[in-house]
Amino acid sequence: MIVALAAPPPPPVDNTWAAPTIATGIVLVLAVVAFGLVISSRSAVRDRDDFLLAGQKLGVGQNALAHVAGGLMYSTVIIITGHVALNGFDAVLLLTAFVMSTVLAVLIYASPMRNVGGHTIGDLFALRADERQARIASAVITLLIYTMFMIIAIASVGFVASRMFTTSSTVNVPVVVTVVLIVGLAAIGMVYLGGMPGITRVLVLKVGLMIAFIAVLTIAILAKYKLNIADLLTDAEAKAVPNPRGELLETGRLFGDGATVNSGQDPWVHLSKAFSIAVGSIGMPFLFMRFYMARNGRAARQTAGWAALLTVGFWACMIIVGIGAVAILGRDAIGQIAAHRDITLPKIADELGGAWAAGALGAIALLSVGAIFAVLLLNAVLSFTQDIRAARGRPEDPAAELKDIRRYVLIIGFGSLIVGMAMMTQLTHIFIPTSIDIGGACILPAVVYSLFWRRFNTRGLMWTIYGGLGVTLFMVVFSNGVSGDPTAIFPDADFKFVDFEPGLLGTPLGFLFGYLGSVTSGERNDAAFAQMQVRALTGAAVPSGKGTVARDADGDFDRAPSEAR
Amino acid sequence: MGHMDSAVADDRYVAEYESARFQALRRRSNAFIAGASIVFYGWWFVGIALAAFAPGVFRTELGGPFNVGLLFLLLSFVLVVAVTVAYLRFASSRLDPASEQIRVELEGGTR
Repeated sequence: MIVALAAPPPPPVDNTWAAPTIATGIVLVLAVVAFGLVISSRSAVRDRDDFLLAGQKLGVGQNALAHVAGGLMYSTVIIITGHVALNGFDAVLLLTAFVMSTVLAVLIYASPMRNVGGHTIGDLFALRADERQARIASAVITLLIYTMFMIIAIASVGFVASRMFTTSSTVNVPVVVTVVLIVGLAAIGMVYLGGMPGITRVLVLKVGLMIAFIAVLTIAILAKYKLNIADLLTDAEAKAVPNPRGELLETGRLFGDGATVNSGQDPWVHLSKAFSIAVGSIGMPFLFMRFYMARNGRAARQTAGWAALLTVGFWACMIIVGIGAVAILGRDAIGQIAAHRDITLPKIADELGGAWAAGALGAIALLSVGAIFAVLLLNAVLSFTQDIRAARGRPEDPAAELKDIRRYVLIIGFGSLIVGMAMMTQLTHIFIPTSIDIGGACILPAVVYSLFWRRFNTRGLMWTIYGGLGVTLFMVVFSNGVSGDPTAIFPDADFKFVDFEPGLLGTPLGFLFGYLGSVTSGERNDAAFAQMQVRALTGAAVPSGKGTVARDADGDFDRAPSEAR
Repeated sequence: MGHMDSAVADDRYVAEYESARFQALRRRSNAFIAGASIVFYGWWFVGIALAAFAPGVFRTELGGPFNVGLLFLLLSFVLVVAVTVAYLRFASSRLDPASEQIRVELEGGTR
């Protein structure tokens, strides 16, 4: 089965930019620094919440940087540069959708979810629904999204190795396998040793280097055009790959008729992508878990706010780099097909900064994708230990749990590495869009209803989560990612009828299911809604009548307010 | 749903929820979030619909290489900054003082 599905290797490309020796040298230095950061944070890990949530003591700046770092992946940084260079305006529009989604975190996800408290969205759901079912729903969604992103993260390590750590024009299997294995094991080791405090520092290192690198590249491009943006744009348009659907800086290359192979559904295909990303991409559990690490709701809100502002700056630079790449390199040097979009960023770095810049990019990219695998792993362990434990009704024992948690890091980590490596030859490009669709169809409606709708209840939650998931997966199976397209998983079969991104339908349906489920169920708990609202807006944890320790509704120990502030 | 750790704590949340000051806080917060979300996503949905169904609007030239589409993208970035900064300022001046007072009273009440 697996062999039968193996993806064809990408067409060879003359790899002239890679500087493997320099990249390896820099990445070894970065590895030493990263391990140093992890080991120096070991003293901060004394109990479960230290390990999983960095003791909820992270400063706003550090947390915001780490939050941004969680979103900078191979696809959102390296592929997107080539996408912008190739498809211009319409690609920038899709990139802008990611920036738009950050506001959702500022307005809805950050402060209320931190104020309600706990470790996962399961804590919020459990306030509005039957605890066991709420926890299982949280675990199902979190671990499903984890699995898909984890496979992509490990594949991304392979892409970085292939593009930047070897000059081979085709996939150099021994190099790729070695790099993936070393990076994977190093990431698991760092999570095991340093937990969230350690990985947060590595993420800050990563994002600092990545922002600095892209900023220098942006300045170099602007300097070449003497800060004259009009000249830069005119040059880019003149040197762009010709496209009958539109000029580089006009809409049409992706939104125009004929942009999607074998499809009559343009412009809905890319319209739906721009919709789904804007409503769903911030709803990834491994991204919004950052907010649980803030000191309080106010700090969580500021974290989301600074992260949004950083994101605006970073992606504004990415647009200039993408447009600058085609303006400076010209149409023949950039990646001209979808599978080659990821050569454009290393090539422009090589053009402007020579071998050292290309090598540095390779090293930063490898650190970057390795850190993504690490933070994903922490998110899976967080959901696995917290949601599953609560669903099974086990009492908490924070002191003993640390040892269990570390064991889960090894079990889930090694298991993931094996699965991820086995999946590397497969076509998995639908996993990230599918996760984002789930973010819109399941997580967004469930969180909005939990926070704002009095009538929401167990059946509403179940219908939102499993209904949203069901329609999303149904549409994915019949999408052009699975069949009816040369780049589909089954390129020779054709049973697709959905070319547009499922989030466009899934998101409103998720809301509809949640509404119908809630109103058809007699369950109603106004007191729980009142409690959730008071907690979400104020962060108050009323001491229970029996003791002086404030507990969450699930019996979860809430950090004493005096310490938390 | 047997979630409540204690009926006492439960009652105090409900009492606070029903208080005039909490309802005022809740209305202020919800009004801003709803208003900002409508403006923000309204802008985005209109924009992507224009790109898809009325590409001529975005192709309208504004001199040199600039066109209405590029202006839309620029304003989208500006809007992200504006909404973020506005909400952070609104929350720290109009929400935090009231919510902090409520929190202190609720948590301190039975100690």
